[in-house]
Amino acid sequence: MEGSENPEEALLIPEDQYLTSGVHIGTQQKSADMKPFIYKIRTDGLYVLDIQKTDDRIRGAGKFLARYEPEQILVVAARQYGQKPAKVFARTIGAKIFAGRFVPGTLTNPDLPMFTEPDIIVVTDPAADQQALKEALNVGIPIIGLCDANNETKFVDFIIPTNNKGRRALAMIYWLLTRQVLKERGTLKDLSGFELAVEDFEATL
Amino acid sequence: MPDNRCSSCGVVMQRKGTAIFKCPACGEGTIGRCTQCRDQSVPYKCEACGFEGP
Ligand SMILES: [Zn+2]
Ligand SMILES: [Zn+2]
Repeated sequence: MEGSENPEEALLIPEDQYLTSGVHIGTQQKSADMKPFIYKIRTDGLYVLDIQKTDDRIRGAGKFLARYEPEQILVVAARQYGQKPAKVFARTIGAKIFAGRFVPGTLTNPDLPMFTEPDIIVVTDPAADQQALKEALNVGIPIIGLCDANNETKFVDFIIPTNNKGRRALAMIYWLLTRQVLKERGTLKDLSGFELAVEDFEATL
Repeated sequence: MPDNRCSSCGVVMQRKGTAIFKCPACGEGTIGRCTQCRDQSVPYKCEACGFEGP
């Protein structure tokens, strides 16, 4: 599975792999915020995200995250299908992870045992992860958000447009992000050297 | 533009809820976002490379 080095010309993975993972399949509602990332509406009423833009943003997120110390990156995922892919992503790139319920005060209350002061945060769903989002806002760190067609992008500083609900879509997007961060850090010489499989990121049913 | 101004609206940022970071795309330009622009998802543009966010 090899991506091109030229961002203008090719996708990070063949288009059919994006399509079978459902990364582009949005929701039946769309938010005004996400309009620039929507490609079309299907006859069944689902909004479809623009894969080229998703791909561009994965590249951008890779560069963005590669500039931070690994342990200063915090990844959060409250909802079930996001937890495993977010964990594998965080573990592989050396970031901190909070999967499941986000304890209020984690970023703002130094008395809590889990208190942490990251420099940047990745939220799997700005709606489901809104406690983490609000705290990140308050402490003034940049916020990367995986945003579906229906998400508000309030407070998000860098949007990655993607299906953020599907099991396989979340596995694919985090697999791509992991590989891209390692590539940008220089840990991976080229994309084909990445040894994890998308299945390693998939939540079990 | 000085580093403590919002890249979108130009306001001088002081209050909490603001963020300053290097451009995601190029790492050269500095992006400032005030609370209000973050709240309303107001677009910003990197002066160095032209990247448009969020
Ligand atoms: Zn502003
Ligand atoms: Zn830039």
